[in-house]
Amino acid sequence: MEKDTANYKDFSLLSYHHIPGVHNIEVFERAGGYEMMKKCFGMEPDFIKEEVKASGLRGRGGAGFPTGVKWGFFSKDRSAQKYLLCNADESEPGTFKDRYLVEKNPHILIEGMIISAWALGTQKGYIYIRGEFYQQAMILEKALKEAYAKGYLGKNILGKGFDFDLYVHRGAGAYICGEETGMISSLEGKKGQPKLKPPFPAIKGYRGLPTMVNNVESLAAVPWIMRFGAAEYKKWGTEKSAGTKLFSISGDVNKPGVIEVPLGTSLKEIIEVHCGGMRNGNKLKAVVPGGSSAPVFNHDESYVVKMDYEDVAAKGSMLGSGAIIILDETRNIGDLMKWTLEFYHHESCGQCTPCREGTGWLESVFKRRDSGKASKSDIDLLDKTAASMRGQTICALADAAAMPAQGMIKSFRSELEAYIMTPTHTGKR
Amino acid sequence: MTEKVKLKWNGKDIEAVKGSNLLQAALDNGQEVAHYCYHAGLSIAGVCRMCMVEQDGVPRPFPACNATCGEGMVVRNDTPKIKAAVENTLQFHLLNHPLDCPVCDQAGECGLQDYYMKHGQYDSQMIDKKVHKEKVQDIGKNVMLDAERCILCSRCTRFTEEVTKTFELGILNRGDHAEITVNEELKNDYAQNLVDICPVGALTSKDFRFKQRVWFLEEVYTTCIGCETGCSVKVSQNKNGAYRVKPVFDETVNGHWMCDDGRQIYKHVSSPTRLQVASENMNGLFVPADELNIKEAVKGKKAKFILSTSLTNQEYERFFHEVGSKAEVALYTLPKLGADFDGILKRGDKNANLRGAEHAFKKAGKDSTPAALDKLLNSIGSSDVVYVVVPEILYNEDHFNTLLTKIEKASMRIALTPGETLSSMKVFNYLLPVPSFLEKEGDIVNFSGDIRKLNAGLSYGETTKDISYYGNWVNV
Amino acid sequence: MSSHSNTHVSHSQGAPFKFTAENLAKYEELLTRYDDVESALLPVLHLVQEQNRWLPIEAIEYVSELMKIPEISIKEVISFYDMFYDIPVARNMVHVCTNITCSMFGGREIYQGLLKHFDTDYLTPTRDGRISLQKMECLGACEMAPCMRINNDYVGPVDLVSAIHKLEELP
Repeated sequence: MEKDTANYKDFSLLSYHHIPGVHNIEVFERAGGYEMMKKCFGMEPDFIKEEVKASGLRGRGGAGFPTGVKWGFFSKDRSAQKYLLCNADESEPGTFKDRYLVEKNPHILIEGMIISAWALGTQKGYIYIRGEFYQQAMILEKALKEAYAKGYLGKNILGKGFDFDLYVHRGAGAYICGEETGMISSLEGKKGQPKLKPPFPAIKGYRGLPTMVNNVESLAAVPWIMRFGAAEYKKWGTEKSAGTKLFSISGDVNKPGVIEVPLGTSLKEIIEVHCGGMRNGNKLKAVVPGGSSAPVFNHDESYVVKMDYEDVAAKGSMLGSGAIIILDETRNIGDLMKWTLEFYHHESCGQCTPCREGTGWLESVFKRRDSGKASKSDIDLLDKTAASMRGQTICALADAAAMPAQGMIKSFRSELEAYIMTPTHTGKR
Repeated sequence: MTEKVKLKWNGKDIEAVKGSNLLQAALDNGQEVAHYCYHAGLSIAGVCRMCMVEQDGVPRPFPACNATCGEGMVVRNDTPKIKAAVENTLQFHLLNHPLDCPVCDQAGECGLQDYYMKHGQYDSQMIDKKVHKEKVQDIGKNVMLDAERCILCSRCTRFTEEVTKTFELGILNRGDHAEITVNEELKNDYAQNLVDICPVGALTSKDFRFKQRVWFLEEVYTTCIGCETGCSVKVSQNKNGAYRVKPVFDETVNGHWMCDDGRQIYKHVSSPTRLQVASENMNGLFVPADELNIKEAVKGKKAKFILSTSLTNQEYERFFHEVGSKAEVALYTLPKLGADFDGILKRGDKNANLRGAEHAFKKAGKDSTPAALDKLLNSIGSSDVVYVVVPEILYNEDHFNTLLTKIEKASMRIALTPGETLSSMKVFNYLLPVPSFLEKEGDIVNFSGDIRKLNAGLSYGETTKDISYYGNWVNV
Repeated sequence: MSSHSNTHVSHSQGAPFKFTAENLAKYEELLTRYDDVESALLPVLHLVQEQNRWLPIEAIEYVSELMKIPEISIKEVISFYDMFYDIPVARNMVHVCTNITCSMFGGREIYQGLLKHFDTDYLTPTRDGRISLQKMECLGACEMAPCMRINNDYVGPVDLVSAIHKLEELP
């Protein structure tokens, strides 16, 4: 591929990623960046919304809800005060795709957000980025400055009579702020606790006003979709899972990292072709296919699954954020369980009782071996407790803790039983 | 505006205002719905997850507290799915709760205990270490916090944010380390409401703590006489006396709340120094006296009455009926205290029934103004008997004592008091007990002209004789 | 991040806090980004930490007065987020990831090893005041597992030896 030309053929999101210095607006524009933004200002907002809807783009943050349908719930009154909020909180363990996207190419997100803002009629936007991504926030800040200097942001953009201000907002270390209403609470200067729904943010969100929250990857896909059209976008992927997707792959593979492949690509291909195969030639044992909240796949499931929303779900897990963690035969599922349960215990916001108490209890029960109180039936208790947390809370964190726990029990019960019955000498984490 | 809709709750037809809160509608219709975080006087938190319901046509259960009533809704909370969910959630509530009911003041009126008895799983699988939090914290304004008992329903934090807007309380930390925390200390004048709204024994009143088990008490529903607002209250009492005052929901006057000052209005009623029998001043010491002797002593003297502003309309009326034109009568009004209105409930005018008094005076052809009181005081001579009805709640004793210095000229000075014997009462020759607000029935008129009811609960000694009984002495 | 003790006494630094003239100007600029003052709280707390490293009661009082936000609301926020510190922390903040992928490659052992090497504990500054160590949940850099954040920069993969070496170089 040409080193200063976009590769739109193979990628929608990483089409500029091979271009050196593409974080600079001049380089990005030379390669075709912001062209679509300019063209879109000549289009009817409804046309853009229709095109995004027709593309079949689904929310890339984890839930996979069709972006165009979500946009359809948004207030249509262009004069009403509304917000566009980009979810760059990326905290689901195993996920690092948004970081990879924006640290190299912040402008693709900004272009996507300006087009989306025009389509949705929002006057102000924020990129909520997790606090740990300080350098990435700085990269975005600099890119925003460049875009302002070009007149792509601010008042009366390119003389079109459209105003859109866009800012970076840094989080401060709380997983739950990745949940869209938790993010809104956090943006409001409060604890990042999710809000009761209804009302939904599209109706009553940030500061009680209509707010559209979309993931980095979803928004960054918009310029490509507008450039080539929904029909072209749909050529990638499967019927219900259209387009390409970023996958963050880590663990026991030779080449961990971020890849962009069409949805529906087999996990086997991802591991063997894109990630250079298993580390040390070890045998694959299990895969967490969609971030830590996705139930684990065993060896056999991993080698037959296709990475699209439907097939992953059909096999009992979820595509989630596209974070794939590969575990080889040397790994113990007990450790995976422990780390996962500790994480959700640490991150429960503490509002809803089943989650606040349940996440802590799951961890306590699983760690009874530390105090010599474990019994095999604890696995049943874990399963039952996890089940009773599901569908009971304001947000999905309780489910996110319960699902992988139940998944591991389903696929690796005997290994977990052995694990909890092996005494430890330290109570330390 | 108040369009009614019909819905089905557990198969039973219920009626509710369209768009009103679904949980409240169920409760108003006598349905049993477990809930901890919902409180009709506060915003919706939806965090305790106890009021979950299923609705026909809605795929997932949701909390009734965050739903509104619509025509034809079919809702259930008695399905196996919901029952199991509520039991599990209760178990989660109890995981880190100390279950120290035997030493908890909330026992008997604890939401957790109530549901635990009904839905609890008695074979607790909780063998793990509980999260320890601070047990006994004095957070100011007579409120004690036990963070371990707290179930983090957030009613108290919402109260200080939404009702008093004083922001003393917050919930710090995440997850099961979350804990109610006070910033410095409670400073608002409504802090005792926190004790009322706490569904468990996390916030208790220092005043009531360990004094009495609630099942030994009965409630008298009456009106607060602490100021001219006239909040609806209930007084918890038994044969040994009154123990506490709590607000009663009253849409027109006080909503769900009352101020802390109002909580104190019962204290004189069963005080050890409460005047219970007619007493005579023997060189500064009051000793029981024979009423007949007092009656003899006032015979032939010119009677002058100074009434208080917290008597009932009926008391004023009966009094004027007895006295007729045979005595001079004036009204002592309590001085203003603090702001006219604090924006919530509390008013600076502490005269609980000034309006009723003024009306009765007018009807009797008497002058209730301060000028008339001055005139009466100035006219006091040695052949007079002056009766002073002691105000039931004396916020400013000095002001009252100044009044007392002005009656010294009278050869006979008698106090009619519904309360305690104060040191300043040495100016009187005799003290006669009259009923306190808890020992009589009748009406008072509050700041907005609304009639408010007083109801009788306790009765002490001779306190059934009210001012009209003594007023009748003018006829001797 | 609360210190996980059961008492919530905010810590004093024994001296008043106020923004430098430069940071006060930054504060004013921050306010222009939002449609209400409250929304600027997180960025403002970040700014306080840039100047003061941590958030003593004096800073909480200052921010409360400046932004007209109740102190308790600020304390709630500080306690909720892992990157806000209500106890004194060192010149250099080191985050060690102990989530799934990093733990697979020894993240937890590195964290424990660093605590031992520098003879310190969670967040407690080393005796020379140079380093505070904080175990963190997934830092979002699993391709470089096990990874760390040294101040604002990601490093990884590291092992205990290279981690110690990097930290010893810190000023």
